[in-house]
Amino acid sequence: MAQQQPLPSSAQPTDVYGGDEVSALVLDPGYFSTRAGFAGEDVPKQVIPSFYGHIDGRDIFGDEVILPRAGFEVRNYMNRDSVVEDWDVAAKAWEHLLVKRLQPERPTPPSKNGLNDGGDGDGDVVMDESLEETEKPLAENPVLVTEAPWNTPKAREKAVEIVMENWACPAFWLSRTPVLAAFAAGKATALVVDVGGANTSVTAVHDGMMLKRSVQKSPVGGLWLSGQIRSMFDASEPKVNVVPSFMVENKRPVEAGAPADYRPKKFGFDIAPSFRAFEEERVLTEFKESVVEVWRGQGKLAAPQNEDFARSQPGRVFEMPDGSNQMWREQRFKVSEGMWDETAAYPAPAGLDVPQISKGQTIPALIKACLDGVDVDLRPNLLANVVVTGSTSLLNGFNDRLNNELMMLYPGVRVKIHAAGLSTERRFGAWIGGSILASLGTFHQMWISRKEYEEHGPNIVEKRCK
Amino acid sequence: MSLDVREVLNIPDSGPRPAKKQKTAAPRTNLKGLAREVQSLGGDNPIAIVPEVSVFKKRRFGSRKPAAKWELRRFTNSARGDSGALVLQHWRRMHEDVSHSEDQMQDVLSQADQSAEGGQEKIEAPEDSTFAKFNVQVVVPQYSEDQYNSNLQNDDWTKDETDYLLEMVKELDLRWPVIWDRYEYLPKGPPAGDLDGADNTAVIPVPKSRTMEDLKARYYEVAAKMMAVQKPAQYMTKPEFDLYEMMANFDADEERKRKEFAINTMGRSKDEAREEESLLLEIKRILARTERFTEERRELYQRLDYPHTDQDISIYKSSQGLQTLLQTLMNVDKSKKRKSLAEGVAGPTPTSAGFAAGQAPHQSSDGPGNRRESIAASATGHLRRDSLVSATPATPADATPTSAADKKKKGNAAQFERRKLSEQEETIYGVSHHDRLTSGPTFRYEKINKLYSHKSGQQQLRITNLLTELDVPSRLIMPTAAVTSQFELLWAAVTTLVDLRKVSDKVDAEIKLEEALPGSSGAHKRSASVMSATSDKSSKRQKK
Repeated sequence: MAQQQPLPSSAQPTDVYGGDEVSALVLDPGYFSTRAGFAGEDVPKQVIPSFYGHIDGRDIFGDEVILPRAGFEVRNYMNRDSVVEDWDVAAKAWEHLLVKRLQPERPTPPSKNGLNDGGDGDGDVVMDESLEETEKPLAENPVLVTEAPWNTPKAREKAVEIVMENWACPAFWLSRTPVLAAFAAGKATALVVDVGGANTSVTAVHDGMMLKRSVQKSPVGGLWLSGQIRSMFDASEPKVNVVPSFMVENKRPVEAGAPADYRPKKFGFDIAPSFRAFEEERVLTEFKESVVEVWRGQGKLAAPQNEDFARSQPGRVFEMPDGSNQMWREQRFKVSEGMWDETAAYPAPAGLDVPQISKGQTIPALIKACLDGVDVDLRPNLLANVVVTGSTSLLNGFNDRLNNELMMLYPGVRVKIHAAGLSTERRFGAWIGGSILASLGTFHQMWISRKEYEEHGPNIVEKRCK
Repeated sequence: MSLDVREVLNIPDSGPRPAKKQKTAAPRTNLKGLAREVQSLGGDNPIAIVPEVSVFKKRRFGSRKPAAKWELRRFTNSARGDSGALVLQHWRRMHEDVSHSEDQMQDVLSQADQSAEGGQEKIEAPEDSTFAKFNVQVVVPQYSEDQYNSNLQNDDWTKDETDYLLEMVKELDLRWPVIWDRYEYLPKGPPAGDLDGADNTAVIPVPKSRTMEDLKARYYEVAAKMMAVQKPAQYMTKPEFDLYEMMANFDADEERKRKEFAINTMGRSKDEAREEESLLLEIKRILARTERFTEERRELYQRLDYPHTDQDISIYKSSQGLQTLLQTLMNVDKSKKRKSLAEGVAGPTPTSAGFAAGQAPHQSSDGPGNRRESIAASATGHLRRDSLVSATPATPADATPTSAADKKKKGNAAQFERRKLSEQEETIYGVSHHDRLTSGPTFRYEKINKLYSHKSGQQQLRITNLLTELDVPSRLIMPTAAVTSQFELLWAAVTTLVDLRKVSDKVDAEIKLEEALPGSSGAHKRSASVMSATSDKSSKRQKK
């Protein structure tokens, strides 16, 4: 009873709950996956690969449809820069996510589906109501879309066009991923280190604004690491073949290091190389998750005593889908060392479109270049608020190594790294930040409304979303 | 049920059962179903079942109120400044006053559609967002064309670029790092029409790179000037003026130097950083040691009875300081009941102060160049003398005799400014003046005792006898300042009396000796009269 009385003014919380949910949708497209969900939730409701299936001139979306089929090709609507490449497919993919997956059609209630009418035997169903609904599926939902910091003005205008023209959304906003990742970590000012699927970016965010001159990016990301693993597999003795799971019909256990003993699955059609590459990537992802580790001791791995120490550490066994297995010892440190020390990187694998990184593309070099691009007064503050996000940063020991490198780079400055502990929060940092932003009461004055879009055209996004 | 259990287990019926039953009856009525059966299994000794287990469910059912009603309410945000063009919806508690019946509730969802169709009661304007009030914007100086031309001309900045800068500042809310980051001013092409820009048509506009200091300097310059234009500096309120001064005094070069320094600090190597840290530690240690060292040194000086001058004499170096010094010296002399020098010293000749203080009379012949030093010297010299006289580590003001309460050391400045008390006030506050004070506290009766100690035992006896004769105790019961002083007077009279008696006795003896020879008695008579006069006087005093 007493709890229901209003609190005395002294006991009332001084801060105001700033949330005000307007059923906004948040869409966060990345190179590997595209995330979507309702603002105000802590995890995206729907995550589908940005890779999509192309078969018989149709595009199909979702993880579950990527299966071995005749004439089935796997494509990606994003490019290696995490910028949308194929806008037609992007529009379809986003609509699939936001409309089909987030707001699935409800079955027509039995009272209205006409089956129970019985009066006229035609079985005609009155369709106008449902038609009206499908016309404007997102008419009530403002949409917040994320973009890479280096997104081009043209691409931004295209995004607003899709949202406004195709879906009739009442409002729209475009926000940069580092800013949102900083928000997800609860910070308005931060140095965001985003180690994602296709590339790594380091961006300074000040007071919720990205600093353009500080943006640094390099291909050191999940894809590049996969390339390093492939090179390592090729270089190892005996050579390791990556056979994706779908190709294995049957396998028998073998000794470590022994050749695999498996019966390959037979398909009556050709498997597209893009599909095989996608499936191989799954295996490599598992390898990254379970074996690859970042050297976290003092100094670089290349230092002789460090290498010896790494060799003496217990190894990890990884069994390939085809049953061959092997113990990985110092190699599992070595394969990720290129992120920090370009001289330690394996040569890029032949035939695959993975770049060889240069000196300026290692993570410490990126951070240094980023900080050189901001005002000196901000640098200590940024170093005290380093936000790590992106799923490749989930590599074991990544944060320790980053901390060591930063301490070495800036010995006199306090360095503090903020990395979410939950893997979902690390993987979906930008989406979560968008979810927070779009559900804030004070944010609703920012939305670009339909009226504004109609008045100023798509280039309003350049003026408003700074 | 419990009876059945007892029967099964062959437990005889116990006596006090009814009473117990009475006790357990009350909770038992609350229980229902299986719980009651389990409870009654225990019989006399109830099983420890916590009946509160069911509270959760009970409360839910007990406080069953109709579920709170929510509605999808439309709202606008006035901070957008688009006069309500964007209408969003959020779920809000339904207003209490609207009592919906059940069938109305079913229509809640369809209400939104009705309003979209131009329905009946939902037409009224959607409410404003509660968050609109958080929209705060910075105030950026405004200027007209004329104002710009008369006040804000700058060789380095065109009006266009200044406009652009102010626009940026407004848009980015004075966040300088961001402003600098986004600053991309492209000079407009050759100015057309009103300005004759024919001479620079060939120049391709190149974006000028501006440092953050340039931007800040220009903005503060504009802001300060416009502030002064709108309100002259003398009419500004204090915070306004502070802001104005801060902006007007912005020094871009200083900032630049500071940033360079900061960059260097950031760029230190690990060794340098460590070295600096250790040096800082060293400094801290040295500073701590100096403090102790000076403390010891001061103690040593005190022990050497060196005048305690931790005050610096620089306060005497200004003409105002001299005046205060003079004042102090005058006070000292006045209080010592020397002849007043007030008239003589009132002039501005500082040497007379030295003279007045009884110090270094030869200084009066010094040239004006030496004056300052001589004053300083005389000041210290004076200090020394005073401290010697008062035997306390004294400042000049301390030398002016003060009451016991005032003997506490105070700040020098405060002592110089001390008000001179009139005689009346002195009595009120109990201020007394002494030629000489011993260090430390003394008791007043000790002073009386001291008087005795000078006298021989016989004289002491005589004095005591005389005092008892006068009904005055030889040891004062209540030695207040007034009583002691009166007692001293009395005592002086008594001693005189005793002395005179002694003399008269002697004279008597001589007279007797003379009378034994051929003699006269005049001397005797005179001494007696003297004696009576003194005793008279002393008794009068006593009465007072």
